[in-house]
Amino acid sequence: MAEKPKVYALSTCPYCKRTRRFLDDHEIAYDCIEVDLLDDSKQDEVLDEIEKLTGRRSFPVVIIGKEIIVGHDETKLRKALKL
Amino acid sequence: MTPAKTQERVYCPVCQAKFRLAEGWKEGDIVICPICGQKLKLEKSPDGWTGSRPEKGTEKEIRDRVDEYARIKGYVFNDMKEELLQGLLGKVRRFGDFYCPCRMEHVPEYMCPCKPTRGGDVEKDGKCYCGLFWKKA
Repeated sequence: MAEKPKVYALSTCPYCKRTRRFLDDHEIAYDCIEVDLLDDSKQDEVLDEIEKLTGRRSFPVVIIGKEIIVGHDETKLRKALKL
Repeated sequence: MTPAKTQERVYCPVCQAKFRLAEGWKEGDIVICPICGQKLKLEKSPDGWTGSRPEKGTEKEIRDRVDEYARIKGYVFNDMKEELLQGLLGKVRRFGDFYCPCRMEHVPEYMCPCKPTRGGDVEKDGKCYCGLFWKKA
């Protein structure tokens, strides 16, 4: 079975909420990390990972297989999830 | 020559900038920071004039601030406004002040309206980083 999509989000970001709502509405199981709620050392580690993947610190970041989607983009989400 | 009185300046604790003290303003007056739209109560200390935040951390404070800032700059909102305001309220609850809801960093320059916004991002990009303030079409 393919790996679950992974979402990096901020707890206060409405675009992150929309992305999560989109995945919930389509009954897609995913892992979500709310980066701003992590403790400092874990947060540094995750931010480094995000910067390595996307070259910036912008949210949400969704990883679906080899696809990396930055920002709330339903067109890209549909395409990557084959909806 | 400009009278000394009008050269006095008021420090705003939100945008951390100073603006000119208008003639006739006195201690205790409520004024609006012309740079960030914050409502301030004028106070005078030995270091000079400063503004305190009479509704600090409240929903009213941030709603009034963003509305004032948009009015001053001639910017508009879109249908994300309420969700972004909820994000700002989440920031004050979790991180102590109204930092941009879409940024990780909780530093003074990212207090809404953030420094890049006050520096002209809306004019340049048509909107601010999080999409709260928009240039009028």
